[in-house]
Amino acid sequence: MSLQSLDPRVNRLHLPENPSEPVAKTELDQLETYEVFHQKKENAAYTYVGPVHAPNEEVAFLFGKEQYSRRFACTGMWVAETRHVMVTPYTDEAVSVYDVIRINQENAMENGEKTAEAYEIFHLKKRGKAHAHVGTVTATSYEGALAEAKKQFGEMKPVVNVWVIKAADVFRSEADDKDIWNTTKDKMYREATAYRVMDKITKFKEEQAAK
Amino acid sequence: MYGGGNIFEATKFDDLTTEDPVKLAEFEARIARGEKIEPNDWMPELYRKQLIRMIEQHAHSEIIGALPEGTWITRAPGFRRKMAQMAKVQDEVGHAQLLYSAAETLGKSREAMLTDLINGKSKYSNVFNYPALTWADSNTISWLIDAGAIVNQMANAKGSYGPYCRALDRICAEEAFHLKYGHDAVVHLATGTPKQREMIQAALNRWWPPIMTFFGPSDKMSTHTETLVRWKVKMATNDECRQQFLDMYVPKIWELGLTVPDPKLHKNADGVWEYTEPDWVEFKEVINGNGPCNKERLAVRRSAEENGAWVRRALLSPKAKYVKPLA
Ligand SMILES: [Fe+2]
Ligand SMILES: [Fe+2]
Ligand SMILES: [Fe+2]
Repeated sequence: MSLQSLDPRVNRLHLPENPSEPVAKTELDQLETYEVFHQKKENAAYTYVGPVHAPNEEVAFLFGKEQYSRRFACTGMWVAETRHVMVTPYTDEAVSVYDVIRINQENAMENGEKTAEAYEIFHLKKRGKAHAHVGTVTATSYEGALAEAKKQFGEMKPVVNVWVIKAADVFRSEADDKDIWNTTKDKMYREATAYRVMDKITKFKEEQAAK
Repeated sequence: MYGGGNIFEATKFDDLTTEDPVKLAEFEARIARGEKIEPNDWMPELYRKQLIRMIEQHAHSEIIGALPEGTWITRAPGFRRKMAQMAKVQDEVGHAQLLYSAAETLGKSREAMLTDLINGKSKYSNVFNYPALTWADSNTISWLIDAGAIVNQMANAKGSYGPYCRALDRICAEEAFHLKYGHDAVVHLATGTPKQREMIQAALNRWWPPIMTFFGPSDKMSTHTETLVRWKVKMATNDECRQQFLDMYVPKIWELGLTVPDPKLHKNADGVWEYTEPDWVEFKEVINGNGPCNKERLAVRRSAEENGAWVRRALLSPKAKYVKPLA
């Protein structure tokens, strides 16, 4: 006998009434994690919105768009694999992280053998808020990028945490694809403002009173 | 929705003697200053455990809660309602995604959480073990269960754990639509034909008892939670949430000429609502697997997981390595 439901769609699944023990999910059944950053309006800093699980950056991009921009204004998106983000320690809110971290000068030194490349720098101003992009630096390593970030952005206060990502590891939306961020007018049904409940209640009460 | 305090129970003993006293003092001072805790901070095991449990239950409630309302998408009266119902259900599934990620930052993988949902080890909001018999039941869920969830989520959004607060801020913003959508749908029926009024009253009668259990057992029955209150994990007691819900929504039900199936329900002169104590025996019975829909909910979830497994396997890159989300 299969499980009986009020929902014909469930009945069509022919689910067993007494199922076997479920098997535990294996590692990575839910795929890898990516971190997503949105630009809320033109020229605004890219800001962290949250993670997604995806098999590759293209799918992560689609999930990030659906999950985080479906209901909020957005004009651009960046996605990076979680493991490509270098994270500093978190500090107390009264202290700048740049004043606490010790940067290994040797590692940070310009390394002639490695070619310099761009790194994106993100600051967290307050615990519980979101990391925001502050700028791009050029360096030959993550540590070098952090040292350079301290020079360029160290005076910005407060900074409780810094993320560093190689610019090449960031998957970005294209300026030419701007149209993908538009929401059509006919989707008003998912806005609270589309429901004029009070009008209906007032009319109902007037009718009741008139009776 | 859907949740938080509804089923969440504190562990019986607040044993902090094994924790490093200096780190514990720093941790507590940070919370007392109003600073949020972030994933890489030191935290007591009890804090980590309770938050995982609470956020995980909340996430499960979102995906399981999408099922009774999801049932009505194809049969919602009219195209616009189908679209709106679909948008709401999609939001709820999105809430689950946000919450699973927040729980993951504490060290439990999404795989482990989904496994524990399907094997019955983790719970979800008990109200979803009841069926949505009619379109009016679906509307009652959209309005009043979401209303209850909002009371809960607004309180939890002021809690101490950064990733949970960030997720809840997004969730609360989306709930504004759910609440208006649900209210509008109920008002439509309540101000409609006699048949429509009858339908919504019957749905309300069916859903009132589960709704009253939504915030969990009364404070008299709950185990002590002082530590969790001090750590800003538990932001309001079950009874405080229930009182706030009654105060906000009973008048809105009454103004539509609908009745609440509880002869004892009234507001005292001191502003406190009195009501018939919910049937906590039935609540326990249902939460332990013996409700009208428990089996179906888990079976449907499980079949979705199993039927999609080959797609995820095919997409998985051999170079993939799990790293827990950052924040
Ligand atoms: Fe909702
Ligand atoms: Fe909901
Ligand atoms: Fe929700």
